[in-house]
Amino acid sequence: MEFYDIIFYLFALITIGSAFVVVTSRNIVYAAFSLLFTFFGVAGIYVLLGADFLAIVQIMVYVGGILILLLFGVMLTNKITSVEIRTGTVHLLPAAIGIGILFGAIISVMLWTNWNISPEPIPPSTTANIGRELITNYVLIFELLGMLLLIALIGAASIARRDKE
Amino acid sequence: MELANLYQSINLIIPEIVLSIALIVLVIADLIFHTNKKIIPFIAGTGILVTAIFVINQFNYIGFAFSTATHTARSFGMLAVDSFGVFFKLIVIVSSFIIVLLSLASDEIQKTTDRIGEYYALIYGMILGMFFMITATDLILIYLSLELLSLSSYVLAGFTKLRDRNSEASLKYLLYGAVSSGLMLFGISLVYGLTGSTNLYIINTLIQNPHINLFTLSFATILIFAGIGYKISSAPFHFWTPDVYEGAPITITAFLSVASKAAGFALLIRFVKTVFVSYETNEGFWSLIEVFDWQSILVVISILTMTLGNFSALWQNNLKRMLAYSSIAHAGYMLLGLVVLSNQGLIAILIYFMIYLLMNLGAFLVVMLIANKINSEEIDDYNGLGFTSPLLSVSLAIFLISLTGLPPTAGFIGKLYLFIALVDAKMIAVAIIALLNSVVSLYYYVRVLKHMYLVKATASTPSIIPSTSNAILLLVLVVPVLIFGVYFQPLVEFAKDCIVILGI
Amino acid sequence: MLSIPIEYYLILSAFMFIVGVTGVLIRRNAIVVFMCIELMLNAANLSLVAFSSYHGNPVGQIFVFFVMTVAAAEATVGLAIIIAIFRNKLTVNVDEINIFKW
Repeated sequence: MEFYDIIFYLFALITIGSAFVVVTSRNIVYAAFSLLFTFFGVAGIYVLLGADFLAIVQIMVYVGGILILLLFGVMLTNKITSVEIRTGTVHLLPAAIGIGILFGAIISVMLWTNWNISPEPIPPSTTANIGRELITNYVLIFELLGMLLLIALIGAASIARRDKE
Repeated sequence: MELANLYQSINLIIPEIVLSIALIVLVIADLIFHTNKKIIPFIAGTGILVTAIFVINQFNYIGFAFSTATHTARSFGMLAVDSFGVFFKLIVIVSSFIIVLLSLASDEIQKTTDRIGEYYALIYGMILGMFFMITATDLILIYLSLELLSLSSYVLAGFTKLRDRNSEASLKYLLYGAVSSGLMLFGISLVYGLTGSTNLYIINTLIQNPHINLFTLSFATILIFAGIGYKISSAPFHFWTPDVYEGAPITITAFLSVASKAAGFALLIRFVKTVFVSYETNEGFWSLIEVFDWQSILVVISILTMTLGNFSALWQNNLKRMLAYSSIAHAGYMLLGLVVLSNQGLIAILIYFMIYLLMNLGAFLVVMLIANKINSEEIDDYNGLGFTSPLLSVSLAIFLISLTGLPPTAGFIGKLYLFIALVDAKMIAVAIIALLNSVVSLYYYVRVLKHMYLVKATASTPSIIPSTSNAILLLVLVVPVLIFGVYFQPLVEFAKDCIVILGI
Repeated sequence: MLSIPIEYYLILSAFMFIVGVTGVLIRRNAIVVFMCIELMLNAANLSLVAFSSYHGNPVGQIFVFFVMTVAAAEATVGLAIIIAIFRNKLTVNVDEINIFKW
């Protein structure tokens, strides 16, 4: 077993294990914290895949932004001292059947497809390349993303603020 | 990308640029005039009108914009400007303008004056998202524009907050929407894995390769359809529609039911046509690449959609909720135009959309004007209104008859062309099912008329007389529904001019 | 690096996606459902990056960058809505929000 293999299995284990905790944990704060490990694990996998820039963005945006936001949500909507969140498991049978079908389909897709891949050596760093693409070929989407963030800002502000009574 | 390409591309997205500038002007104006917000709706309306001018002007500019010419020698753009796209942009922009007028007349919206700037800014966000959805030919742009539309509409669906059911509509819309876009994203990632590209045209060439994995491609296509089907509220992704339509402010309900649906349809049609069609026969039929049987799938989906919509509408007592189910059913009818996979079917869809815009917005306008007065949308509260409020009742009757598809209203013409397209494609059985569905729909539309005209007015029945400006707006929607019912040639001619979808 | 076959990454992504979908279907707390949606997005991102590395073209990575931004925007709006609901009704469990049929 090579060094990379060991690292891969390590990160994969962290990712899947903590993702499992997110779904099954009855304590919402534990769920949020194990999501942190999932995000870290994914970032590690990105590094293995040679996507160093994305690994950093993953940690900054997901861990630094989204997760903190989710934790704020948890804390604003629950008294942490008395964490008692109902986790009903309704619709269990149809859900199980649906998930079973989806699981079979996805795994078979992933295993038995001839992906259009051409193994080329990955450049040492992808950051410069991504930067160049962002302001040339993908400049439209880059700008559109700016509009999207503006809209999200306006929307969140208008929903969360209290009306004048 | 070369600079020449960039300049040419910018020429092709002028309407979107104008829209973005108008959005920013709106936000700044909202800050400047924060004491007197009466001016904001007029700025919003003007911005939409200016954009409309540039959209119409686009009939002269045809081409691809923002090509990423790295993959192949031939360059296809990230978005395509063609007459088909311009048509749907016009549908979106006309309905947006009507929505601005509706918002001016809506008590519900007028009560939120201190947040009116945000309201119009978010509507602009929706329009921008829809414009890019209509023209996008790249999966990245498709995903992003869909999200832009969704984010704005999640917020708008819960905008008034006066009654707590609004924010709830928002939450359901958001959770279902995020899941469906997650499914779509996974589908996109599979397509990218299969082909190594996100451009629809390049994907089209690559999936003609006989070694492509059919199962993977079909699976990915179904996942992508989850995202689009959610927007057009087709079965089995329709279940959010009644709750959201009932809970959202009525102006937004009207907007979602017309514009957002139009953009979704434009995206679906363009996606099917550019990715899965190899060539057009001389008779105007589209020849599918044999990787995914769109025809059978769409037949099933459209029959399911219209039947579920119509039968659920039968038991509704809230007119807004009933119109929500009816809009699901109409999505089913319009999918039939795509089922035949021909230019004739496309023309039928375009005609249907022009008429649907008038009659659906009209019906919502009447419901809103009545709700302004009696503060209710329950059908029982409409008892006897036919005698006390003649103008509104007659208009509502005309819109509902048109939604059923009976002559002499325009709705009949829309259905007629759909059925002709089906019969020409030798899909008689499907046409008969659609016809039976229309018969079912007659029952629930006429039930409203029964409440208005067959129950005697009592002393407590309110008399609702709309203000002059609202009456004019109402007439502007009613009269064309009647005129196009008999003199529909212009609609047909216009639709025939608008079926060019840029292809390989 | 590329000594690991791409299928390993894809299976990992598939597992994450399934776990996310399961969570969306069985959990009833809106915030947890939201976390599960993030899992789904992360799974899709992972397969995009894997494909991108093995294709040797950067499009997939750029896409992931965009998706992350969208996810952040979505989380912002989503949390704002959840907090607004909590203020109105003091619950975030999807089952207890029942003016409408769910």
